Amino acid sequence: MMGPVLGQAAVPRDIGVFEFLFGSEYWTGPGGILASLWDTLVMCSAVMAVATIIAVPLATVLAHHGRGELSITWVVTLSRAVPTFAVAGLLVPISLRRGWGFEPWPIFIALLLLALPPIYLNTYTGVRGIDRGVIDAARGMGLSERSVLLNVELALATSVMLAGIRVAAVQVVATEPIRAFLGGDGLGRYVRDGLGQNNDNLLLAGAILVAGLAALTGTIFGLMRRLLPPGVRRLA
Amino acid sequence: MTPVAQATNPIIRWEWIIDEWDQIREALVQHLELTVLSVALGVVVAAVLSAVALRFRFMVSPITGFTGFLYTIPSVALFGLLVPYFGLSRLTAVLPLAAYTLLILVTNTVAGFNAVPESVRDAAKGMGLTPVRRVVEVELPLALPYIIAGLRIAVVSTAGLVTVAAIIGQGGLGALILDGLQRTFWTPMTIGASLSILLALVLDGAIYALGRWATPWTRRAKAS
Amino acid sequence: MALIGPSGCGKTTTLRMINRLIEPTSGRLEVNGRDVINESLTELRRGIGYVIQQGGLFPHRTVAQNIATVPRTLGWDKSRVADRVAELAELVGLELTMLDRYPDELSGGQQQRIGVARALAADPPVLLMDEPFGAVDPIVRSRLQDELLALQQQLHKTIVFVTHDLEEALKLGDRIALLNVGGILEQYSTPDELLRSPANTFVEQFVGEDRGMKRLALKSVAELPFETGPVIPDTASSSEAVATAEAQGVEWIGLICDDRFGGWVRVADLANGSVPADAERFPPAAQVTPDSTLRNAMELIMTSRTSVAVINDGGHFGGVVSLDAIRRSLVSEPDL
Repeated sequence: MMGPVLGQAAVPRDIGVFEFLFGSEYWTGPGGILASLWDTLVMCSAVMAVATIIAVPLATVLAHHGRGELSITWVVTLSRAVPTFAVAGLLVPISLRRGWGFEPWPIFIALLLLALPPIYLNTYTGVRGIDRGVIDAARGMGLSERSVLLNVELALATSVMLAGIRVAAVQVVATEPIRAFLGGDGLGRYVRDGLGQNNDNLLLAGAILVAGLAALTGTIFGLMRRLLPPGVRRLA
Repeated sequence: MTPVAQATNPIIRWEWIIDEWDQIREALVQHLELTVLSVALGVVVAAVLSAVALRFRFMVSPITGFTGFLYTIPSVALFGLLVPYFGLSRLTAVLPLAAYTLLILVTNTVAGFNAVPESVRDAAKGMGLTPVRRVVEVELPLALPYIIAGLRIAVVSTAGLVTVAAIIGQGGLGALILDGLQRTFWTPMTIGASLSILLALVLDGAIYALGRWATPWTRRAKAS
Repeated sequence: MALIGPSGCGKTTTLRMINRLIEPTSGRLEVNGRDVINESLTELRRGIGYVIQQGGLFPHRTVAQNIATVPRTLGWDKSRVADRVAELAELVGLELTMLDRYPDELSGGQQQRIGVARALAADPPVLLMDEPFGAVDPIVRSRLQDELLALQQQLHKTIVFVTHDLEEALKLGDRIALLNVGGILEQYSTPDELLRSPANTFVEQFVGEDRGMKRLALKSVAELPFETGPVIPDTASSSEAVATAEAQGVEWIGLICDDRFGGWVRVADLANGSVPADAERFPPAAQVTPDSTLRNAMELIMTSRTSVAVINDGGHFGGVVSLDAIRRSLVSEPDL
């Protein structure tokens, strides 16, 4: 058993990959593609929102005061090495014993650990990388420290910061499907079901959905960068 | 399963570790094998790609673009995509894991070679070292700290990702996690998860030590 | 030989064509009478020592391994390489304890010495040096220049030396090639000739307004015609002394005792008839050695309120240098 399941869409064994992907009956309804997609998007958005709220202010303030240079080395290593599956695996029993269930805390926290490093790292280096002359000029014009921080440092670091958020978002979306193997659902469920039911086409379709969402996420964040003023964009 | 059963089930039951020691050891060995195989394959492919990128500069961008693209493919999806072709085999696990190492390995190798000071390159040439000797005796050793740094990250992240390979039945410590999950028996889950994290740290330390040994000149501080 | 010129004049390019780090597109370039184009690249380069700015030392090799690079590629046996390394270390003034250290542990000046030792390792007849002292501070730089001159006294290599520093070129070069942007050879001559008769306005501007002073820095006191100056033996009588002083139109006269300079005495002090030996003596304010440059001598004379400097040739009196003699050396140079 795989924990609480939303209700299986009845997928015929001999279904074709495109028949599944383009068949409207598989998109709608409980356990349909749209519901699973929504499930995944809610989880990923929540993770990204919390990660951004934690990492951006922390990194900006530390970088502004020139503190925490050492944290960078650690964060760089961590950013490529968080074993999400293992972390979630450790958290599931703890969560269950406390009566919080399979979802959403274990996977949420594991994904959060994945998302924090790139955002923190890029915000920090973005703020630190700003030409000191610009900041001195801002101070010289009589801007308050608060204003320097928000209107100059953070504004100029936006491009680099956004690049970090993009990396984090792609990683979170790409990793979220393991949730289907940790007692949850989401878009990864079709890969799980395909493997479980030995249905290669369902497996392929599921993999295409997961990969497609990750690619789309990268593209959307890439496009967002184009909305920035050219001077800020160039700083990335 | 009732919530009560879940609540009373302890995080770790020490007797189980003793009883199932063979199973744990087997999972650890499989985990290690998958990690080493994947990174080894990654290193070989990355070496070729890096050599191409360094030899033909215009290839740097396509190669990093391609390896970067591979890196963004979700592991669950990549395993899933390969199963219909290679079955639930070790190859299906190793190919994606190796693919994920390429980005960091190629990036760091190219950066390492690019970081060789122009004056040193020039001196090596000017003293009449053959091209092969220049690469093997001068450029490679100087790029080594960067390559080692990349290798450390590749190994640590691979050791973490190998747990996911359990979903396609390749064993390893991830299999203990899945097993525990399915039986709602937390001991194997806790053991699998902690050992995989521990293994990653040990491997990281080992490569770090290897790197220190291989690059003695980086150990001494500048005297003047 | 020194190659000098403004940036972009191709002095480094010229140097790098000699060992074919840059391939010449046309023309001939001969080393030891053989066109470099016909030589194997590695053979050619191993036969030419090469020293560059910042040394270009291999940071991952110890000092000894750095020096041994070319001998090792030439397949020398271990003991021969070790002997050669020790010999070179001594030659360039490196302590033997430094041989096992890594280049980054040493100072810039030491690194530069290692660079020179490494280039000399296989005893190449030709040495190329590309601004080798460009990255060290002026004091160390001047010392390294002196050491290179001393080294060249022993070794007699053909050295092609690229620099953008005129003083350095004048000091080190037997001949100077002055290049202009675009690789145009403006003048090729000895340092003295470069300063004395610049070939055109470019050369004139490049060497600067004070080329007369610069020439003085090139000449040593020993090069001047011998001049005894207003001196007499300390056994002379006062009338002899006064006569000598009047003949030369000076108010001071030098005493020589036992081939040494015994000090100056005031002619006025001798007027009352006292013997020179008893008169009050003043030690020489300006003293030079035969190796001193004329510029040095002139500076001393100017700042010490005398009109001549006494030459101290290893304790013996070697004559005097007068401002007049220095001036003459600049205007009438018969040879060259």
